[in-house]
Amino acid sequence: MALLPRHAWASPELRDKALNELTGGRPISDGRVTLTIPQVAENGLSVYTTVQVDSPMTPDDHVKKIHILAERNPIARLLTWHLGPRSGTAKVSTNIRLAATQQVTALAEMSDGSFWRDIKPVVVTIAACIDGG
Amino acid sequence: MALATARVSMPKEVGKGDIVEIKTLIRHRMETGYRVDSVGKKIARHIVKLLTVTYDGEEIFRMDFTQGVAANPFVAFTTVATQTGELVFVWVDDKGEEVRVVKELTVA
Amino acid sequence: MVTRREVTAGLVASAAAGISAPAIAQAKPRIVVVGGGAGGASAVRRLSQKAGNKLAITLVEPKTVYTTCFYSNLYLGGIQSLDTLQFNYSTLGKLPGVTLAAVRAARVDREARLVRLENGAQLPYDRLVLSPGISLDYTSVPGWSKEAEAVMPHAWQSGEQAKALKQRFDAVPDGGLIVVIAPPNPSRCPPAPYERVSMMAHALQKSGRKNTRIVILDPKDKYPKQALFQQAWEQYYPGMIEWMPPMIFEEVKAVIPQTMTVETGFETYEKADLVNVIPRQTAGQIAVDAHLTADNGFCPTDPFTMKSLFDGNIFVLGDASIAGDMPKSAHAASSQARAAADIIIREFLMPGAEPLEYRSRCWSQLGAENSVFVAGRYQPTEEKIKLIESEISSLTDSAETRRQNYRSSAAWYSQLTGEMFG
Repeated sequence: MALLPRHAWASPELRDKALNELTGGRPISDGRVTLTIPQVAENGLSVYTTVQVDSPMTPDDHVKKIHILAERNPIARLLTWHLGPRSGTAKVSTNIRLAATQQVTALAEMSDGSFWRDIKPVVVTIAACIDGG
Repeated sequence: MALATARVSMPKEVGKGDIVEIKTLIRHRMETGYRVDSVGKKIARHIVKLLTVTYDGEEIFRMDFTQGVAANPFVAFTTVATQTGELVFVWVDDKGEEVRVVKELTVA
Repeated sequence: MVTRREVTAGLVASAAAGISAPAIAQAKPRIVVVGGGAGGASAVRRLSQKAGNKLAITLVEPKTVYTTCFYSNLYLGGIQSLDTLQFNYSTLGKLPGVTLAAVRAARVDREARLVRLENGAQLPYDRLVLSPGISLDYTSVPGWSKEAEAVMPHAWQSGEQAKALKQRFDAVPDGGLIVVIAPPNPSRCPPAPYERVSMMAHALQKSGRKNTRIVILDPKDKYPKQALFQQAWEQYYPGMIEWMPPMIFEEVKAVIPQTMTVETGFETYEKADLVNVIPRQTAGQIAVDAHLTADNGFCPTDPFTMKSLFDGNIFVLGDASIAGDMPKSAHAASSQARAAADIIIREFLMPGAEPLEYRSRCWSQLGAENSVFVAGRYQPTEEKIKLIESEISSLTDSAETRRQNYRSSAAWYSQLTGEMFG
């Protein structure tokens, strides 16, 4: 099975462009967001990911959206979660595809219009036979 | 027994104001559209595009998918138990096909 | 506890002083080997080949016919018949210096340096080679038991259980559900549950049962050759196999053999057509009872000699041992056995050291003529047996490469069983 040529894929620049579009150019602060993702993903086909944002999730103060972005996938924005005061927590999980070793970004948009992010590196590889014993 | 295409796991009964943990799983190939078959023909994209969840008719959760989401997508999230009612989960793919699961939540 | 330095000193002393024998003249050193699997059989064969006329070797193995666990998934998948996996111990019994004791070993008396057999007989030893394989923890999956293994087989030890699993698998209808409960680490043959699932999917497809589903409940977040397996499943068996890590199903809360129910933290499966429980394992019971195990239930060994760190007269081979970076594979057991046999021969007969290297090569069958491998070369260090070089199949292998691999695996199988049975 062949894939599209690499040069057609996203890059850190395209990821930054996507971030800019999502934030409307507003500043992004580090913190409040925790992206939990394996440091080494044996298999890029399915990487289990959890994002948790520190927020009271009240009508006045809650997370509106969480985006996951990649820098070396065919496209930069992998998914968006829409939350609200009925969510209770801002803790969400899913499984994503990672095309190569890269940094993954979780971007949260708050009800007050502020943006927060966490970024984690993931090594995508085939591991040798480690029996864990 | 046969496995349904989409499954939802959540408690049947909770207390008012409790945080309800909800897990969902849908069997879907999430064909990216980047793959080429053994004779060089491009395999068409076919992915889930959207999951919406309503609780007594009001939307409480929504997820936009792209081909960056893995095959057989697993999605977990939470909601606050407000009153006894129906949660309706609807997945829509890029062909417009829908899969629907309905769950009753009893709130004490 | 015997440290490595003490073990080495003992080695030199024995070699210099010759045989440490009791008062009654014992012409030949008595080497007792418990367990006739890849480790034990290879050890017996090597000892006999190199010094059979100078040693008294006894193999304690109750089975008369050995069915290899390695390649047994190919029997499940309909690619290999059971008789091609079976070998007779009588060939080993005919080798120079070898006596077969076709009885189960009950206990090791380390003080008296003898092995008590189930029939009451006692075998004194100068050196003991323990290659007892694994013991299954029947309490590790709630609701499962020794009695339940007839209904929910493990097939994690070959022979009868392999047949039981195949019988039940062949009876699974189209549209049915198979639940495989994968084991936690450390486990015998880490890629085997995933090869098993691949072979099930292959056989289901071949027999027209394309609506049957396989769910794997895995207590681990990852497993060996994961990318290779998942690529193969997406490519050859799309939609048939669901692998679930703990994030989805949390844990197996209970199995109910009477109703073929499996209850998890995500969903409950009722009236499953086949439930394959692969439980938590420890070293074979005889090693546990002899107090040769560490907290994790397996036996720590000296990287340079494969001797137990707790007893300088006992070697522990294969799945029962903690062997550093080496996997619990049949090939690894055979490689360790050769090293242990050479150490024994040096201790009693021929002083002098050779550089030591271990190897392991592990094949996983993904489809009809499609096999992948992972291979390693290992060297002993003070700390542990260390991986020095490894090789693994590529996601971009051509179909022809995979077919070549399948042929190579058959040659590997012949060679390995040749090292065990000739």
